[in-house]
Amino acid sequence: MIVHVNGALLRFTDYRRVITVDAPTVEAALTRLADEYRPLHTVLFDRRGRVRATHRIFLNGELLAADQLASPAADTDSVELLLAISGG
Amino acid sequence: MPRWSSYEIPVDTGFFTPLGLQPTAVCRLGFNAAGRWLSRHAISHRRLVAEHRTGLVVWSAQLAFDEPVRFFDADCLEMRVTGRVRGAGTQFECEVEVGGPFDTRARLQACCVPLRLEGDPALSGIPARLGPDVMAAFLPDEIEARPHRSTLPGLRAAVVRHGAALARSRMPFVIHRHQCEVADQWFWPEAISLAAGGREGLVQAEAERVPLLLSALRTPVRRLDLLFNRPFFLFDEGAVRSSAHEWEGRLVFIHELVGSEKDQPRALVTEQFSLPKDRAWD
Repeated sequence: MIVHVNGALLRFTDYRRVITVDAPTVEAALTRLADEYRPLHTVLFDRRGRVRATHRIFLNGELLAADQLASPAADTDSVELLLAISGG
Repeated sequence: MPRWSSYEIPVDTGFFTPLGLQPTAVCRLGFNAAGRWLSRHAISHRRLVAEHRTGLVVWSAQLAFDEPVRFFDADCLEMRVTGRVRGAGTQFECEVEVGGPFDTRARLQACCVPLRLEGDPALSGIPARLGPDVMAAFLPDEIEARPHRSTLPGLRAAVVRHGAALARSRMPFVIHRHQCEVADQWFWPEAISLAAGGREGLVQAEAERVPLLLSALRTPVRRLDLLFNRPFFLFDEGAVRSSAHEWEGRLVFIHELVGSEKDQPRALVTEQFSLPKDRAWD
């Protein structure tokens, strides 16, 4: 799966924008990504291990609801991570 | 009575253009003034974020100039600021006056939406009401039940419907870190800088065909309105889609700031300029 990281999340992936992750589902891809880039873990997941509601996750351009993150995804699929808004 | 704070700041040349106070400088000074007011009368912006997990994001602003305030007018700018809560804690609004001598002023009104922060290092959040502990710091006169509503969509519709379209342009941009705030999200006055860049590009490209456009370089802006939809973040790509109109004796620029993908709207900015006397609105 090809994960595209944007904007305010870039500093948590050491400014890598496009990262290939080997995983069977979007949720598993996010977990592996957060394992590889540890600072991303607390940004992406809450204390219960759920993806925070402040993120928008797209699979091949389609916005996924929280209950769709377990959907299977292929190596060539594209996942985009967006932070909806930050409050500075 | 709502509480006002007043203070002076020394001028430096960076606040100004040859035409007067820079709108971006007024917004930066105004946002800082609002933080100063909050800190003095309610809670500091840092504590609001760090201890109450509440951020403030500007979503609507209006900026109006009386006569231009210029660098050589005085050693200091006089700042006056007040704040209020609106819409049952769903908005914080500040009103700022940046004054020179001779009663000349720039007036900024900015409406912020509180965000409940998730507590992660990216400062991600979702819109929420101010908490009761923060609300308690405001006087009854500083709490207004009615929420602020932007007049910008109506203004834009009127200009497009009844004005004479003069020219249009598109200017691409990328958001770099010097344009961002603490969360790697654009700092909202950048919308004004980008819009002004779009306008200046449009004037340079079209002034020979439409000489009236030069008023937007020769004279200072009289009024600015901003409305934010979604923020830009670090390295986001976008474009300013600008159009110029003559409407009710003024020259009006409408700037749509859009993301590069599918032109998703992120912010809307209008700038109004006086026209030469024979065509002016005042």
